[in-house]
Amino acid sequence: MAAEEREPTREELLAMAYADGELSGPERAAFEAEMAQKSELRLLVTRERRLDALARGAAGPEPMDHEWRALAQDPLQRASLGLGWSLLLGGLALGVVATFIALWLSDVDLLGKIALSAVALGFALLVAGAIRARLRTQPYDPYTEVQR
Amino acid sequence: MIVVTTDSVEGRRVIETLGMVRGNTVRAAHFGRDLGAFFKNLVGGEVEEYTKLLAESREQALDRMIAEATARGANAVVGLRFVTSEIAAGCAELLAYGTAVRIE
Repeated sequence: MAAEEREPTREELLAMAYADGELSGPERAAFEAEMAQKSELRLLVTRERRLDALARGAAGPEPMDHEWRALAQDPLQRASLGLGWSLLLGGLALGVVATFIALWLSDVDLLGKIALSAVALGFALLVAGAIRARLRTQPYDPYTEVQR
Repeated sequence: MIVVTTDSVEGRRVIETLGMVRGNTVRAAHFGRDLGAFFKNLVGGEVEEYTKLLAESREQALDRMIAEATARGANAVVGLRFVTSEIAAGCAELLAYGTAVRIE
């Protein structure tokens, strides 16, 4: 059964016009002010820009693409990659914990232990901040699905 | 918006030149993609992770250039060029620039 068609909403029409650069100066300024307040408008504009970017690269598939898709479904390849990543990341996490424990059980003086722990904690906090910022902004990044 | 690499749009007369417009970006792949690329680098062939990274940068730079042209009231950009350089290892920097014009 064909998907039911519906009329685009006012917001969708405005987002399309904005993404296509069809709004006049005052209309654009009004839309930008509204977009600053509403995350759903920002998502609509992102969707339009995503479609534009994908449409610009609308070349057909290359012969190798079919093999990549088959490989992605191949059980041996999936198991190999899954196990590889699990071992790598699990080992890394264990290594960090073991290093931390070894540091605090070592003969390094207290000031050294605190300094090294502070560096490690600072690094972890900065990484966490970068990950949080990326997760927050990613929905508004229209280029994540561009492949080539 | 018509965007062409030629100095004019065939069959359309330029009625106003609005100046240079540009858009740039620097994008990075996340750690997982970099690691995946490292393994592909060992065996050769296309490193799709970086093909994708460069393509993302290209589209973003292009969109930013078009946004600037639109804001200036242009309906075309002629003489489009892309320039790439390296800011940091693993990052793709792309600059798109051209001349914003109004055509008939």
